[in-house]
Amino acid sequence: MGKSGYVVRRLLRTIPIVIGVTLVTFLILHFTPGDPVRIMLGPYATQENIAILKEQYGLDHPLHIQYITWLGNILQGEFGTSIRYNRPVLELVQDRVGITLMLTLSGLFISVTLGSVLGIFAALRQNSWLDYLCTFQAMFWISIPGFWLAIIFLYIFGLQLRWVPIGGLTGFSSVILPALVIGLQEEAWFARPMRAEMLGVLNEGYISAARAKGVKYIRVVGIHALRNVMIPMITMLALRLPWVIAGSVVVEVVFAWGGMGSLLVNSVLARDFPVVQGILLIIAITVVLANLLADLVYSLIDPRIRVEGGKK
Amino acid sequence: MNTAVNIENIEKEIKELKQKRTSQLFLTWLRFKRNRLSMVGLSFVLVIIFIAIFAPLLTPYDPYDTNPFRRLENPSREHLLGTDELGRDLLTRLLYGSRIALQVGILIVLFEGFIGITLGLLAGYLGRWVDEIIMRLVDILRSFPVIILAMAIAGIMGQGLYNVVIAIGLVGWTTYARMVRGKILSIKESEFVEAAFSIGESTPSVILRYILPNVLPTAVIMICIMMPTALIASATLSFLGVGVQPPLPCWGSIAAAGRDYITRAPWISTSAGFFIMFTVLGFNFIGDGLRDAFDPTSKRN
Amino acid sequence: MEEIILKIEDLKVAFDTEEGDVEALDGVELEVKKGTFHGLIGETGCGKSVTGKTVLRLLDNNARIKGGRIHYGNIDLLKLTEKQMEKQIRGNEIAMIFQDPGSSLNPLFTIKYQIEEAVSMYSNLPRNKWNQAILEALQRVKLPDAANLMHRYPHQLSGGMKQRVMIAMMLACQPQLLIADEPTTALDVSIQAQFIKVLRDLKENLNLTVLYITHDLAVISELCDYVSVMYAGRIAENLTTRDLFKNPQHPYTDKLVHSVLGVTTTLEALEEIPGSVPRLINPPAGCRFHPRCQEAIAICSKEAPPLQELAPNHTVACHRR
Repeated sequence: MGKSGYVVRRLLRTIPIVIGVTLVTFLILHFTPGDPVRIMLGPYATQENIAILKEQYGLDHPLHIQYITWLGNILQGEFGTSIRYNRPVLELVQDRVGITLMLTLSGLFISVTLGSVLGIFAALRQNSWLDYLCTFQAMFWISIPGFWLAIIFLYIFGLQLRWVPIGGLTGFSSVILPALVIGLQEEAWFARPMRAEMLGVLNEGYISAARAKGVKYIRVVGIHALRNVMIPMITMLALRLPWVIAGSVVVEVVFAWGGMGSLLVNSVLARDFPVVQGILLIIAITVVLANLLADLVYSLIDPRIRVEGGKK
Repeated sequence: MNTAVNIENIEKEIKELKQKRTSQLFLTWLRFKRNRLSMVGLSFVLVIIFIAIFAPLLTPYDPYDTNPFRRLENPSREHLLGTDELGRDLLTRLLYGSRIALQVGILIVLFEGFIGITLGLLAGYLGRWVDEIIMRLVDILRSFPVIILAMAIAGIMGQGLYNVVIAIGLVGWTTYARMVRGKILSIKESEFVEAAFSIGESTPSVILRYILPNVLPTAVIMICIMMPTALIASATLSFLGVGVQPPLPCWGSIAAAGRDYITRAPWISTSAGFFIMFTVLGFNFIGDGLRDAFDPTSKRN
Repeated sequence: MEEIILKIEDLKVAFDTEEGDVEALDGVELEVKKGTFHGLIGETGCGKSVTGKTVLRLLDNNARIKGGRIHYGNIDLLKLTEKQMEKQIRGNEIAMIFQDPGSSLNPLFTIKYQIEEAVSMYSNLPRNKWNQAILEALQRVKLPDAANLMHRYPHQLSGGMKQRVMIAMMLACQPQLLIADEPTTALDVSIQAQFIKVLRDLKENLNLTVLYITHDLAVISELCDYVSVMYAGRIAENLTTRDLFKNPQHPYTDKLVHSVLGVTTTLEALEEIPGSVPRLINPPAGCRFHPRCQEAIAICSKEAPPLQELAPNHTVACHRR
C-alpha cells in the first residue's frame, strides 16, 4: 500500500472523467438544431461536399458507432480537419497553443504570487486597513469583466501612456499587460482563501508550540504555517485553472495575439466544428491532468495522505 | 397513552426548532443590514433595477433609432455620452442594456439553479448510484471552463439571447448541485428530520416540510452569489460575438463595438464596461454580505 | 531562601469578545521558586491557561494585557518587545507544552525536523552532532526506538508519545522554566500515569523548574512542591502541596480538596460545590467566590479580599482569615 496505492487509486478515478469529457465534447456537435454538416458547410454547399463530410464523420452510422470511431481517431492523434482552413486541427492548435499556454502560466504565476502575498499580509494584520483593503480590492477585481479590463489597460498603458506596445505579440513587453489583466483578476480568488486559511492555521496549536520554542515569527509563518496553507491552496489552484484558461482565451482575443482564443472564437463564429471540438477536448483534458497533478503534489506535501489513502 | 405524549413532545420540539429557524433568519437579516458594504451593494442593484424598469422615462431617445449623420459624436448636452457607430444615443442604449443584462442574468440563475438544485436534491437525498452518477457528471463538466464550453454550445446552437441562457445554464448548474447536495447531507442527519420520521411522516412530506425549507436559504444565497458569474459570462459571450446579437442593446456587445473606435470614442467601451462593473459589484457585495450573515464565523474567525 | 525564578504581580488580562470584554485575569499573584514544580490549579475557564500563555506572551490577538508585572529574574517580561521575547526568552529561558498533543506538533514535518529546530537554535553542537542530540532528547523522555521514531510524522504516534515528544522538543531548548499547560488532560488514564512518571524522573535528574497547570489534584500531589489555587481569574491561595491537603485556608481550596478526596481525583466533582463558576464577562462584585461560599459575610460581596500572608509560603485571599 502506501503512497503508490494512493497514486493508483487517483489514476483510476481519472479514467471515467476523461471518458466523460470525450463524451461531452462529442455530443456537443449534436446540440445543433438541424443537420450539423449542413450547418457547418452553410447554405451553398454542394451535395458532393456534404456527402464527403458525412462520410468523414460517419454520420450515417448510429451514435455509439460514431463516438467509438471518433474516439479511435482522437487516440491516434487524429482530431479531424478544419473546414475553414482545410488543415488538420492538431496542426492549427500546435501553431497557437504556445501563446495561450504562456499567457495562462504567466497570468497564473502573477495571480498566485500576488494573491498569496496579499492574503498572508491580510491575515497577519487581521482587521487592519490592509486587511480591509485586501478584501475590497479582491471584490473589485472579480466584479470587472476580463475583456473590459483588457480594453481599459490597452487604452491607458498602450494608447495614452505608450508604455507598452499595442496589438499583437511583439516580445516580452507585450506580454506584461495581458498577463497583468489575468493576474489581477485571478489574484482575488487566491487572496481571500489564503487569508482565511492562514488565519485558521495561525490559530493551530503547533504554531503556538513553534513560537514557544523561540522560532522566529517570520519562520513560523513562512515554514510552519505556509506549508500547511499550501495544501488547500493547491486545491484552489486546480479549481481556478479552467477560469484562468478561459480568461487568457478572452484576453488574448482583445490583444489580438492570434492564439487559441482567436482560433476558437473564429471557429465558433464560422461553425468550424472540428476545430471547436478539438480545442474543447484539449483544454478539458489539460484541466483533468492538472487536477491529477495537484492531487499528487498534495500527497507529496501531506504525509497523512499516504496512510489514510484519501483526502483528510 | 405514553406514545401519545411522546408524539406531542416531538411535535412541540419540531415546532420549537422551526421557530428557532425563523428567528435565525431574522438574526441573519439583522447581521446583513449591519454590514455596510452589503447595503451599498443592495442600493447598486436597486438603482439598476430602477433603470431597467423606467428606462423609457429616463431618456427621450429610442435605443434602436439610428442616424447616419450623427455617428460617433462626442458627449454633449444633447447626447450625454455621445452617439455610437450608427448614430444611436449611447446612454439610451446603456440604460436599456440593463434590461437585457438583468433579463439574461436572472434567466441564467433560474435555469441553472433549477437544474442544479433539482439534481443536488436528488443526489443528496437518494444517494447511492444516483449520487454517484450526478456527482461524476459534475466532475466532468467542471473540467471545462464555463465560458469556453458555453461559447461552443452557443456557437453550435446559434447565437441569441435564449441560447446564451441555455449555454451558460447547462454548464453553470454544477455549483448549485454541489452546495445543495452538501446541505442535504447535513440536514438528513439532523435531529428534526429524524424526529419527523419517528412520528411516521412520509418521505415526500418530510422533503416538502423539512428539507426543502432548510435548503431554500442556501439556494437563495447561491442565486445571489452566482449572479455575478452569470452576468460576466453572458457579457463575455456577447463581447466575443457569440452571445446576444445587435441591434439588441447589450453591454457586452456595445463594449465590443466600441473597441473598434477606442481611439476616437474611448467612452463607448469604457461606459459599457462601467455599467457591467456597477451591477456585478452590487451583486458581489450582496452575496458577500449574505454569506457572512448566514455564517458569521466564516470571515472573521 | 530559595531563589525565585518567576514572580507574577497583579496581572490583568482581558479578552475582546462579541459579547463584550472578558476579564480573564484580575490581579494574579504568584511566585515560582527555582528547581521546584509549582502547580496552578483551578476549574476550566478560571484563567490558569491564560496565565501560562501570558508569561510567554503567546496570547490570542483579541487579548489585552491590562496591567501587572511578570518578573523573570530581574527582567519584566511585559516590558520586553516581541523581538526580545522571541530572541531571549521563548525557548532558551522559558518553554511551554500545551494541552492537546494532537495539534501541538506540525503534521507536515517529521519529529526529527521539529526537534532539530530547537537543537539548532540552542545547543552549541556542530551540525553533525545534532542527530545525537535529538536521539538523546527522545531517550530522556523514555521513548522507545528513538532512532526510528524520529523519522516519523506526528500522525503516526499515539497521544502519549506525542506529548512526550513535545517535552523532549521543549527540553531540547534547554529552558530554565517549563510551563506545562494541562499536558495530561487529553491522555488516557494509563498513559497519564506513564507520562507523570517521565516527568518525575526528569524532576529528579534535571534541575528543572516547572509551572504545572492542571485541574487534577492527584497530579499535584504526585509532582508539585507548591500550589497556587485560582478561582475566576484571581488567585485564591498560594501554599505548599502539604498545606493544600493538610491545612487549606480559603473556603474554595477547602471545598476543592475535601469534595474531591475520596470521591474522584479530578475537579469534575466540583459540581458538588453549590452554585456554578461565574461567567467572567460579568463577574460578581467583591470576592468572586462569595455566591458559592458558605462562610460569606457582608463585606465579601463588596470588597475583593487582598492576598495576605498567613505563614511563610502561604498566602490567602479571604476576608474571613
